[in-house]
Amino acid sequence: MRTTGWLLILVCAGLLRVRAQEGGKGGATTAVLAQEQAWSDAESRNDTGALEQIFDNALVFIEDGRLATKGECLARVPLAGSHPRQIVAAATAVHFFGSAAVVVGTYHELAVKDGKASPKAWRFIDTWVNKQGRWMLVAAGASPLPK
Amino acid sequence: MISLLAWAGTSAGYAQAGFDADAESKIVAMEHVWAQAYTIKDPKALAAILDDGFVCVTSEGKVLSKAEVLADVRTYTALQILTESMLVHLHGDTAIVSGIFRTKGVEHGKPYTRRERFVDTWIYKNGQWVSVTTMVSFAGD
Repeated sequence: MRTTGWLLILVCAGLLRVRAQEGGKGGATTAVLAQEQAWSDAESRNDTGALEQIFDNALVFIEDGRLATKGECLARVPLAGSHPRQIVAAATAVHFFGSAAVVVGTYHELAVKDGKASPKAWRFIDTWVNKQGRWMLVAAGASPLPK
Repeated sequence: MISLLAWAGTSAGYAQAGFDADAESKIVAMEHVWAQAYTIKDPKALAAILDDGFVCVTSEGKVLSKAEVLADVRTYTALQILTESMLVHLHGDTAIVSGIFRTKGVEHGKPYTRRERFVDTWIYKNGQWVSVTTMVSFAGD
């Protein structure tokens, strides 16, 4: 969904208005969105231990054309904190395909660097796979939305 | 009885290993079919490898359905699409493929080249692999 990269998230909120694409998936939808929220919360706390549990070992992460592995995503976290950032995310749909769930949505971030606020909006798509009852993030990507 | 169980266990093990090995090459081949479908403007070929619930997020942040992608193929301006650095990760009946494609084409009479990074999700459904999502992001040169 989103990476904190080198910055600190102040607010992560609003996985709202979600529409499950298949009937009878309410529980799974809730569980997947709970993982999305757990991811945001872990990023905001710079909690690499929690992120380790959410990211699959083979995670593929693409943001703005750059590819990152699980190790690279985790390595970024301790560098957070120098510049505050606010993120508000909204998932718009959860799709289920076999043992995979796909979450599509947008997030808006407000990074503050050298006293200047820099707003940016992204479209994200995340793929989760249910492994032994636990939803693990196996792929995530985001493209910037036009201003 | 013990022999039978041992044989069954071995067969299952081989089947799983064979399935995984074959899956990777099949998916990579279908990724190439996908790229070719764009260059020869063949929505029918693409329709066969995209799930009906397919979701695409473009480099511009647009969300497209399968029908919208198939319509897009007919008017696509690419003359050549080369796929590189493909990597497949298997997660049971789900596969994640990442890579880069380089596109050359002509738009409004002007030639262009694009380099984009993609991540695709495939699922094994009714005995075949179908793509359920793709996400593309400009990667620069």
